[in-house]
Amino acid sequence: MSRRPFSKKSLTTAIIPWLFLLPSIVILVTFLVIPIMEAFYWSFLDYKIIADTSEFVGFANFKEIFSDEMFWKAFVNTILYVAIVLPLNIFLPMILAVLVNQKIRAVGAFRVLYYLPVVTPIVVAALMWKMLYSQNGTVSNILETLGIIDSSMNFLTNTTTALIAVAFITVWKGLGYYMIMYLANLQSIPNQVYESASIDGANSMQKFFKITVPMMVPSMTLVSVLTIINGLKVFEEIALTTNGGPAGATTTLVMYIYDKFMNLDVSIASAAGLVLLVLAVIGSLIQMKLTSGREDDLKA
Amino acid sequence: MKAKAQAKKVILYIAMLAICVITVGPFLYTLFISLKPATQGIYDGLLPTRPTFANFSDAFYKTDFVRYLLNTAIVTGIAVPFNLLFSSMAGYALARINFKGRSIVLTLIISTMTVPFQLYMAPLFQIAGELGLRNSYVGLAVLQISTAFGIYFMRQAFLTVPKELEESAYLDGANRFQVWWKVAMPLVKPTLISLAIYTFTFTWGDYLWPLLNTTESSMYTLSIALAQMSQNFDGGNLKLISAASILTTIPSLLIFIWLQKYFISGQTDGAVKG
Repeated sequence: MSRRPFSKKSLTTAIIPWLFLLPSIVILVTFLVIPIMEAFYWSFLDYKIIADTSEFVGFANFKEIFSDEMFWKAFVNTILYVAIVLPLNIFLPMILAVLVNQKIRAVGAFRVLYYLPVVTPIVVAALMWKMLYSQNGTVSNILETLGIIDSSMNFLTNTTTALIAVAFITVWKGLGYYMIMYLANLQSIPNQVYESASIDGANSMQKFFKITVPMMVPSMTLVSVLTIINGLKVFEEIALTTNGGPAGATTTLVMYIYDKFMNLDVSIASAAGLVLLVLAVIGSLIQMKLTSGREDDLKA
Repeated sequence: MKAKAQAKKVILYIAMLAICVITVGPFLYTLFISLKPATQGIYDGLLPTRPTFANFSDAFYKTDFVRYLLNTAIVTGIAVPFNLLFSSMAGYALARINFKGRSIVLTLIISTMTVPFQLYMAPLFQIAGELGLRNSYVGLAVLQISTAFGIYFMRQAFLTVPKELEESAYLDGANRFQVWWKVAMPLVKPTLISLAIYTFTFTWGDYLWPLLNTTESSMYTLSIALAQMSQNFDGGNLKLISAASILTTIPSLLIFIWLQKYFISGQTDGAVKG
């Protein structure tokens, strides 16, 4: 197709894709791109949101948060929280996916039942688990019966267990979501691979570790990246159960940002938000680098 | 050999049921609490001694539940159709039309998905106020009426539509918009349904943005109202909260159960490949 630069025809052709994009661009620029850019800008200001006065302060906000003990506590808690959730998110949903990929009766019903927590509003999930975790609640009773704990306890008000307890809420809510991702990946593995392994005398365990797990690397990468990105911004599970306590044991970066925002320290909040963004980007890059290396091994 | 296969099946079912206890258990637990009569303590036995719907009728009539339900339904009702429409328009252009700047737009959209909401919530809060969107349905839905995720998700789906089908439509004299609407859209129906479920469940259960953007209780969504109700958690209102929690979850659940058949195949198309 020849193109004359200013003909009416080519001009319309040039405009068409932008017409398709127009509504989305207007919305995303107004409610996403501009706020993000403003947040970058605010992190270098001392911005008083009520009085609407601002002063350029360079890196002063970053200096302030880096010398704030609570910030570092939140930073460490965030990393710890992601470190608890990540391995569980990678392996538990994979096991679920393998189970619901069997050709047996009622498997569809199990898929639905495993997905249930995903469609549960997060506020409801947090409230349910708050009851389950309470003193004399079910979790305490079960663990006491099993002899894992000596006496009934509230897992959300104990400094050692609180972060683990909220991390479990996240894992519980995400099981079905990540299961579906693994399921899609599983169904793309050709059956012949398993058949030829059976002929070679491999048992189910060997097949799982030697075939399934390596073939699942693409979805493991996806699950890891999503876990890191979502894990870094965990909010509701904490805000609605422990509200950052006890004694800051579950104060994550987002709780820290939220606190600053509520105190109208929006510049500090923006600076801490940027740290969060940097963590998200670094986490995703490392994960992609690690797993892309392994994918190359597989191809070779 | 047959007995062994049978035994394997039994073990499989036991394992799958055990997992159900974990995924569904909390709902049953909450349901049981919500059915307990006033005379029975919350942690007093697992099952209700004399099941009653009193807590449900209290949640419905003694709080502004209907108001919150309506608010949530309106916001979700705005978000879902607009997100499907706008995201599939943008996704289609990014998948099918060659134009200058396409890869830049696509890269920008994908990279915004990494940005945590909490980074830009303060500026967003201010912008929403300036545009008069505070305490309004549009203001609550605005983050969902076109999403970076939706655009990316739809683009991946449109990439799988065979080009030949579109080309024959062009030969019949159809224009871009007609081809998108009449040829491509019907072919990505499973993905549209998946996106509808995602948008529905997210908007229905969203907490932080409605929390910031509503200052009047008449505009509360169910999530906000529920969180407010639970402020005095250890008080005697746990049965009421449980009943309200169950009621809040039901619409999400029904939509999912209704559409799950398409959903699981739709996900298989878009999630991992590409």
